[in-house]
Amino acid sequence: MRALTANRLSDGEVVFWAKDCWVERFADAELFGEADGDAALAAEGHAKAQPTVVVEPYLIDLAESEGLWAPVSYRERIRALGPTNHLHHGKQAEGGKAVEALQHASGAARSAGRVKLIKR
Amino acid sequence: MYQYDTLDKEFVADRSAEFREQVARRLAGEITEDQFKPLRLMNGLYLQLHAYMLRVAIPYGSMDSRQLRKLAWIARTYDKGYGHFTTRTNIQFHWIKLRDAPDILDALASVDMHAIQTSGNCIRNTTADPYAGATAEELDDPRVWAEAIRQWSSLHPEFSFLPRKFKIAITASAKDRTAAKVHDIGLMVRRGRDGQLGFEVIVGGGMGRTPYVGPTIREFLPAGRLFSYLEAILRVYNRHGRRDNKYKARIKILVAALGAEEFARQVEAEWEKIGAAGDLPDTELARIRAAFAPRNFETLPPVSAAFETAKASDPAFARFARNNVKAHKKAGYAIVEVSLKAIGETPGDATADQMDVLADLAERYGQDDIRVTHEQNLVLPHVKQDDLPTVYAILAQAGLGSANINLISDIIACPGLDYCALANARAIPIAQDIAEKFRDQDRAEKIGELKIKISGCINACGHHHVGHIGILGVDKKGEEFYQLTLGGSGAEDAAVGQVLGPALPTDRVAEAVDTIVEVYLRERAEGERFLDTFRRTGVAPFKEAVYAAAH
Repeated sequence: MRALTANRLSDGEVVFWAKDCWVERFADAELFGEADGDAALAAEGHAKAQPTVVVEPYLIDLAESEGLWAPVSYRERIRALGPTNHLHHGKQAEGGKAVEALQHASGAARSAGRVKLIKR
Repeated sequence: MYQYDTLDKEFVADRSAEFREQVARRLAGEITEDQFKPLRLMNGLYLQLHAYMLRVAIPYGSMDSRQLRKLAWIARTYDKGYGHFTTRTNIQFHWIKLRDAPDILDALASVDMHAIQTSGNCIRNTTADPYAGATAEELDDPRVWAEAIRQWSSLHPEFSFLPRKFKIAITASAKDRTAAKVHDIGLMVRRGRDGQLGFEVIVGGGMGRTPYVGPTIREFLPAGRLFSYLEAILRVYNRHGRRDNKYKARIKILVAALGAEEFARQVEAEWEKIGAAGDLPDTELARIRAAFAPRNFETLPPVSAAFETAKASDPAFARFARNNVKAHKKAGYAIVEVSLKAIGETPGDATADQMDVLADLAERYGQDDIRVTHEQNLVLPHVKQDDLPTVYAILAQAGLGSANINLISDIIACPGLDYCALANARAIPIAQDIAEKFRDQDRAEKIGELKIKISGCINACGHHHVGHIGILGVDKKGEEFYQLTLGGSGAEDAAVGQVLGPALPTDRVAEAVDTIVEVYLRERAEGERFLDTFRRTGVAPFKEAVYAAAH
């Protein structure tokens, strides 16, 4: 499973693609399954065509956590939650099941999107 | 303290107006991100994990209460109520919105501050001794030279597009509090045999991927010839630095490749060509020096009854006095180090309220002078000993009374993976774990001077290479691991630490530090610091203990 993420240009906020708009909560992100590869790439292409809305969009890999989906990479979980030294900062401050699932997720992998950005 | 003149003010205001226009053009889509990125970086604005980060220059770590209050106001108005002081003695705000950045630069300009040259391949903020003008150890006031370097290097056309970033440190005391030997250029003020003032010039130190302690390329440079010599060094670097490979582009690589002797020869040849025309006129130096004229210190008795009585009656204050209060050049005065390393907090962070408290203290008790150290603490350099009990009480009430300067919980940590787009692993929680483990202040004092420095990636913003115990976060297949090095030093006895062994998982790091400390306490001879014991015993007993415990 994958999701599309970026930072919003005007304020740097971490955002996720949800069908036809950018949302701030990972829990609201559109999920692309194995069979949706073309749709994921199309969404990424569409995002890249919005340079006054977002910066550096990329797809991230997800894994299951507590029955929900969470980014595999620790870096992406921190982006989706906020810094671990200030738990009341960032999106994690809202709390709830979706946030907890992210906090409890334990998968490990480099952020695929980040590797692409570094290569560039 | 140096005051901006009309030229300085106009230059900073113009730059702010220019950036406002650039931001507007970016938001309107008139310029692309690729075109905009170098422009925002030239104004210290990075895009990090959660938001934009603005790095504000604090020239040679020196500011007054008006400036610190403005930083507090920015933290409160545009960030989440705090700022992070860095190893470059700057401050970073981690939750900045691009659309607010022009207003923030205007606010900074209103108090003679900016974010110019806090990023990019240019000459960055010069580090100077945070005790400048206050310590009896110094041969001259390094701020005079650091301010002259600031003026000389600001938007210097020849040095605005160097092969890579460039950092200078300057100290005038035998005790080096600037990490001069691991800078691109380290300047150590010396006196010649005839009493003439000059500099020992060290070039090509550095950390990052390839750490070096810089070699001395000139034992004694007459002070008046500093700027032509700096120009010669930078010219040789600009000519031969490796622009083809980012990882080999720092001057340390060039100095190592040519050899210090050949590099020095080329500098001397270039210096000959430049001649005295490249030097700062004496009148200009005198103008700058006048801004740092000695303060009007009162004539006070060397022993303060109020200070002595408070020490005798309050053990917590006595501990603070032992660890955070340092000798001042004037009788009856003291240098006060304010630790930003409260147990459990983020190293280098100060809240807006804490900044306001410090600004008030500086104004009322500290001759309106505040310094930032490269170890991420703050300093009130001129406090009357009579006022120390009051200053301590106010600091303690604001959560700034930690009596741990140079002790094991006085840890340098970069923002790491909690904020930084370059990081591989977190640094802050590791620092918090270690500080928590050594919460017992008696034990911390028994251990004595022990400098732990943590970086979340090989770029080494957390100076791990020169930590007595250095900790480097690495990414092993997406998991955070930490490589420990021992025996580094960023002081006058500079050394790059030795790798202890295989990297450890997150939950083993604090425990490993504890094991290392126990080995030190077992092995140490009378009067030895951790570093002394390590240098005598080598890495073996530490390695054996850590990895025996790990398996």
